[in-house]
Amino acid sequence: MATGSRGDPSSPSPMDKWEVQLRKGCLELAILACLWPGKLYGLEILRRLESDSDLVLSAGTVHPLLSRLKAEGLLTSEWVEAEAGHPRKYYQLTSRGRRRAVDMAEMWSRFSTNLKNLLTPLLKEVR
Amino acid sequence: MATAAGTDPKIERYLARVRAALRGLPEREIEDILRELHSHTIELAEQEGGTVESALQSLGDPVDLAGTYRSENQMARAECSSSPLVILQGLRHASRSSRGRVTATALYAFGYINVLMLWSAAIEKLLAPLRVGLWYVPGQIWSLALVTSGDAPEGARELLGWWLVPIAALVGWAVRSVTDRTARWWIGRYRRSRTSQGA
Repeated sequence: MATGSRGDPSSPSPMDKWEVQLRKGCLELAILACLWPGKLYGLEILRRLESDSDLVLSAGTVHPLLSRLKAEGLLTSEWVEAEAGHPRKYYQLTSRGRRRAVDMAEMWSRFSTNLKNLLTPLLKEVR
Repeated sequence: MATAAGTDPKIERYLARVRAALRGLPEREIEDILRELHSHTIELAEQEGGTVESALQSLGDPVDLAGTYRSENQMARAECSSSPLVILQGLRHASRSSRGRVTATALYAFGYINVLMLWSAAIEKLLAPLRVGLWYVPGQIWSLALVTSGDAPEGARELLGWWLVPIAALVGWAVRSVTDRTARWWIGRYRRSRTSQGA
């Protein structure tokens, strides 16, 4: 995952490592959220993640994850012939996937709000 | 694998390496994975400024990529399966260390050995009632004598009689259920705790 690393890329700083771990932790939720409005294929998911959430991921990370989410029954897929000349594999949330996305989003929102309460005094002082 | 006309030999070589490293997964899944990787690579390469090399680079090393697919798929399938073989395949990935994987697999096998012994006892009791039983020998520990070769221990008293059949079958079923649930919990716990490879 690209994280906008600072300094020597061969020896990431503890902050870089922490950022990578943080982003990885929300990857599943980010993919499920991407698919909330409708079906997308792999490359579209990668681009949506990049444009809407600044998550720059490699295809080698996202494709196996999509495969796993499908095996878990959270996604379904279908091949659609595209005008481009080659078929594309579109992913869609199942009802179970939609429930999981809502549960994860609610949990994330609660966690984020609580952490914000804790961080507000710290950030005020820095400013 | 579906291949478009004019497919670059580099893509073919890459996908052949992925295919070789995916061996063991169901053929249908392998075909689906390769077809998707093929489609992805072609689309990236055909974009403005795109090349086959850069498209393949975005997928990473073919063996690592296949390894990630294998572990993700096998653990996900194991978590919602009741097949011992599928769960065993999932356990093979469910630890960071080889010692952890061997220990988890050995414990799972130990659980199933007990299941098989209990179910064997239930069947054996039906076929040769005098050879199997829960014997109590006064002054000694309780023991379930399974497939004994001769008579019951001297002075022993059989406690369950024919009840051994349903009881051994039920206990075997319970041990199997606990063994499977524990293995699936272990796999899920590991999968959630680990970070995606190559992310």
